[in-house]
Amino acid sequence: MSVTTFKVPVGPQHPALKEPENFTFTVEGESIVKAEVRVGYAHKGIEKLMESKTYLQNIPLVERICGICNTAHTICYTQNVEYLYDKAPPRRAEYLRVLIEELNRIHSHLLWLGVVGHEVGFDTLFMYVWRDREIILDLIEALTGNRVSMSFTTIGGTRRDISPQIESKMRKGMDILEERTEYYKRTVPVDPTILARSKEVGILTPEEAVQLCAVGPMRRASTLRDDVRSDDPYAAHDEVPFNVISYDTCDFYARIMVRVDETLEAINQVRYCLDHMPTGPIRIRLPNTPPIAEAVSKVEAPRGEDMHYVRSNGTDKPARYKVRAPTLANLAPLLQTMTSRGKYEVNVADIPVLLAGIDPCMCCMDRSVRFVEPSKGKTWVWTMEQLKKYTRKSVRRPLSGNVAGR
Amino acid sequence: MSSGAEESIASEMKNLLGELLEVKIPRPRRLHIKVKPEDYKRAAKHLVESIGLNHVSTITAADTGKEMDVMTFLFGRGVEVMLKAAVPKTDPKIPTLTDIVPGVMFYEREIHDLFGIVFDGHPNLERFILPEDWPEGEYPLRKEYKVTRLKGPREVD
Amino acid sequence: MSLAAELFRNLVKGRATILYPFKDREKVHVPEGLRGKLAYYRERCIGCSMCFRVCPSETVEMIEDARGKRPRFYLDRCTHCQQCEDVCPTKAIELTKQFENLGFNRKEMILE
Repeated sequence: MSVTTFKVPVGPQHPALKEPENFTFTVEGESIVKAEVRVGYAHKGIEKLMESKTYLQNIPLVERICGICNTAHTICYTQNVEYLYDKAPPRRAEYLRVLIEELNRIHSHLLWLGVVGHEVGFDTLFMYVWRDREIILDLIEALTGNRVSMSFTTIGGTRRDISPQIESKMRKGMDILEERTEYYKRTVPVDPTILARSKEVGILTPEEAVQLCAVGPMRRASTLRDDVRSDDPYAAHDEVPFNVISYDTCDFYARIMVRVDETLEAINQVRYCLDHMPTGPIRIRLPNTPPIAEAVSKVEAPRGEDMHYVRSNGTDKPARYKVRAPTLANLAPLLQTMTSRGKYEVNVADIPVLLAGIDPCMCCMDRSVRFVEPSKGKTWVWTMEQLKKYTRKSVRRPLSGNVAGR
Repeated sequence: MSSGAEESIASEMKNLLGELLEVKIPRPRRLHIKVKPEDYKRAAKHLVESIGLNHVSTITAADTGKEMDVMTFLFGRGVEVMLKAAVPKTDPKIPTLTDIVPGVMFYEREIHDLFGIVFDGHPNLERFILPEDWPEGEYPLRKEYKVTRLKGPREVD
Repeated sequence: MSLAAELFRNLVKGRATILYPFKDREKVHVPEGLRGKLAYYRERCIGCSMCFRVCPSETVEMIEDARGKRPRFYLDRCTHCQQCEDVCPTKAIELTKQFENLGFNRKEMILE
């Protein structure tokens, strides 16, 4: 490295969705030229622990891998074990699984929109969106008994059924949420605060997205149209119609709009499930010990493609279970969006916004950031509030329209 | 909906490598292939560049006693392909795939931390998940490593 | 700006939050089927140990008493997953609607 560059470590408790990762940025002046990451601060040893519990005891453990996309992990796990038995759950259970999955997606995207408002400096949007999020949490609590970790699916189907009172409450809730989401879709693209912090920030070209194996909204905001629900349909997604959302601008603004549009699509899918719910049982009974086999299961979590792999050895405990959460796949594209290349420059002030752009999901902590400037021999510590104040009053760059050679 | 893509990919790989150690199609849109460790990189290169499976979902490993299986999951043309190769525990080395698909660098670093498999040609095999003061030579996800408890679950005092 | 209209609408609507637990504690809406604190009915239990086998977090411990085998629950480990209630053949375990389950002493959280 030349003499004028210096390294800035950010983390492990860093300023975005309060997730612990340790970043080291190599900076030249204000712009970042290289980014490196160390993770593992919230490593819970779940894969090793799953080898010492039975398949049924593992369901609450899998649920607690992630707080917000817990339904995706549970559906992926129960599907995986059902693939080992080579048996499918009843059709009503598959529709109920799609229902709870789309409710979870609406919840996750609304939560993320509020956090984006908070990161950008627009706290009013944050408060409004999180007030509307209470509607969806009350619906989930009425259906499953708990606001966040739902415990709704099990091996062979689902555990609870939906009653007519809950169904009518859900339709009313969907109407209110649709009106509120349309309102956010009108306000967000024209608001100058959000536009200044999100247009042409965090560029990821389609070629880079393919080579670095990006998943989820991060991939669909770079013109690609890959979605597990349409490429590899599971549960009832081959019958419930929906549109794959993708935007062309490859920046942070596209990621916001992809998630807002996906919320509207999820509301339509919930309504379709309620209208066309088949009758029948909700669960089949399966024996304790699956046959010796291997299985791979993929699910579209709110953050991207979630993939699980299981191998059984004839006992009632798994021999190997692998969970690949979507945030791990998005780490390499994240480092690429934070590197200045060609005509595209990334500033230190963009760090919190870019970190929120992949919707990171690891754990929850919050502390301070350490800056090191070896050329001047200075070290100083900023708390999260100080870094945020610095980012909010930093100079707005003018929109050029021709970035990174596109 | 099985479109026949699984069988055509399996036969293309058989033509390329001569013979495959294991071929399984357990359900639609899934294909499991096992190859020798010498053919691993050539098979992955053919799958990514010629057949068009350019999205790598993950790379993982499993401990089977005397050997360790390295498994790569690729997706494309509507099929999820699992490419497996077994390396011996006494000399766990396998070529890297970062020159074909750069996005797998973190998956290989994670396996190196947790299983001890060395990927020849990887640009940066440092610690990724385990802390800096973890002792060398201890690989948590191997079967020999036992999880010990500090205190019983029901000791209340 | 469209936000100005929203601001005026919310000025007349009033608060969206309640000052729990100091005021309006009864306004908290508790739905049917909430997975709250565990309740155990000794007279219905037959000592089959199914709850012990399915519990994911080792909350249940089987002990002996005058009538035979029965479970003892360490409620500070409970994850409220409701598996024990699902598998119990005689409905001797029930998850109530009580959601205020804090304690300061682990010994107080053992349910005999």
